[in-house]
Amino acid sequence: MIQFQFLDWFWVVLFLVVTVGLGVAFYRLGKRSESDFFLAGRGLPWWLPASSVYATHTATDTPIWVSGVVYKYGIAGLWYTFFAAWCAVSAFVSTRIFRRSLAYTQAEWNTQRFSGLGAEMLRGWISGWQVFMNMFILGWVGIAMGKVCNYLFGWDVWVGLVVFSSLCAIYVLAAGFWGVIMADFQQGIIAFLMILIVSIWGIIAAGGPSGIVNKLNAMGESWRINPFAFTGWFEGNFPVAWFITMMIIAIIGGFGMGTSIDWYVEAQRIQSAKSVRDSSYSIWWGTALVLTRNSIWAAAILGFYVLFPNITSQSQYEMGWFRLGFEFLPVGLVGFFFAAVIAIHISTVASHLNLGAMYFTRDLYLHYFRPKASEKELVWVGRIATLVLLLGSFFYGLMMEDITSWLIFALWLMAAGIWLPNILQVVWWRFNAWGYLSSWIANLGLSWLVVWILPHFEILPQLPDYQQFWLLMILGALIFIPITLLTKPDDMEHLVKYYVQARPIGWWGPVKREAEKLGLLVHVKLENQGGK
Amino acid sequence: MALIKRNWTPDQADEWTKEDWITVVLSPLCYILLMIGTALSFLINLWGFLLLALGIILTYLMHWIIDPKLKVISNEYEKKQHEYLENLERKVRWEEIHG
Repeated sequence: MIQFQFLDWFWVVLFLVVTVGLGVAFYRLGKRSESDFFLAGRGLPWWLPASSVYATHTATDTPIWVSGVVYKYGIAGLWYTFFAAWCAVSAFVSTRIFRRSLAYTQAEWNTQRFSGLGAEMLRGWISGWQVFMNMFILGWVGIAMGKVCNYLFGWDVWVGLVVFSSLCAIYVLAAGFWGVIMADFQQGIIAFLMILIVSIWGIIAAGGPSGIVNKLNAMGESWRINPFAFTGWFEGNFPVAWFITMMIIAIIGGFGMGTSIDWYVEAQRIQSAKSVRDSSYSIWWGTALVLTRNSIWAAAILGFYVLFPNITSQSQYEMGWFRLGFEFLPVGLVGFFFAAVIAIHISTVASHLNLGAMYFTRDLYLHYFRPKASEKELVWVGRIATLVLLLGSFFYGLMMEDITSWLIFALWLMAAGIWLPNILQVVWWRFNAWGYLSSWIANLGLSWLVVWILPHFEILPQLPDYQQFWLLMILGALIFIPITLLTKPDDMEHLVKYYVQARPIGWWGPVKREAEKLGLLVHVKLENQGGK
Repeated sequence: MALIKRNWTPDQADEWTKEDWITVVLSPLCYILLMIGTALSFLINLWGFLLLALGIILTYLMHWIIDPKLKVISNEYEKKQHEYLENLERKVRWEEIHG
């Protein structure tokens, strides 16, 4: 347990007052319209969504699992965090395409990309899934905060889960996405500053950079500084095959939409940007900050390792970065650190509250229940949905235990079986709604079978993560590709309309030719260019 | 013909071209260099500083290549955005006219 002094509590209270107040200050903007409540009026310069990307993906669970993989694998553990690099490609490919669709959500985009009953079924499915998933993520990051408060103050886990999320909900309810984006900007700055301070302090406490390196050498652990310290091509816990899989997932995944669970959050920020260009840079720079943050954490965790090299319990070494802050910072600064921890927590909570509410309000309520709803009504529905998401997250949070295990499972659940379909929906005109819908349904069953059920009954061995990925991808493809080819293509007129607006990359030849024939596109001859 | 095209017409900018592909290759490379370079730099590792510097240079190069195209795409698209938004609202409210 940590003993707080007056100055520590002062920082905490000051931060809470400022951050909630700043969010609430945009109440008048947030209540103007549905677009304001969920997309900040689509007029943001690139650096505001970028800061929100960074702040949203800096949650209380993030340093926990980054600490976990770096403590276990050294600097090479950063490759676990490299899944975020899908944004490297997405920023200049799928982000451009999505921004041009103007869809509020991925579910809405599906009705622009696909047509007919299948598209509507997808919209219902995706939006329902996202309401659930946002509640799930809220519980997930909330319980991480509960763990932190339990470690610090001995509070029951539910207290940390409930208190700060509830405070955050105040400004989300008041101002919607305007509150989210403005609070994220402030919280992002505080979080990055404190990550720097704590990490540098931790490195110094461990003997400084040279001290860390020397101690690792003395321990025979210098491999921890090597970013390519693999355990073999296929053997051990960190093989090259895993690394190659991660590179493929991250980089090729950038051509898709939804190849990472983070896409659904990014999609909102993409549409909030004032232009296509701003959306590209918001995604690129937000994620660049995320990866830089991970690197700083990695250096600090190496320091933690040399200070405490014999921790075998995952739940203990996952708290490494927090321990550096709370055990080594001086009085007064500890409170500032805790304020920063609150910042990284509520920035994520805010984003997912508003995102989940958007899916409910836009895709379910407006589209299916109340097509004639007024803007005022939609804003109020958004608020009610926000409140329901908050309450639901409390129940989910108390159901979860190990952060890392849940995170990895969530990544596979979302990424593995539908990773390829999420790319195909962007790049291949022939991939249709039924194929995509079947991939989602199949993946839900297959992921549980491959990850848990079949190993439990010893029908399959417990496969490494990367092998699970490839197996799930192949099994899924055996289902969704035949279904795609055996069902009718989407309506050509619909595809042409989408193509002209969004100009997707990939295999769209028949649609492009149809668009040119209809006079909707001008045939452009690019000398020595690779345009298709 | 320049190796990298920097003056675009709107129709040309709407096509996927080699500038996009060069950017797609450079971008993850920038991320790798920035990520590993930063971590090693915090450990006062010479390779870290070199990788970080190279990452910054490549990031600037990437921006130099793709930014002119993005500007043209954005400027042209904004002219049509209002109409597209109206269509989107009609569609979500089942007011889209068929036929």
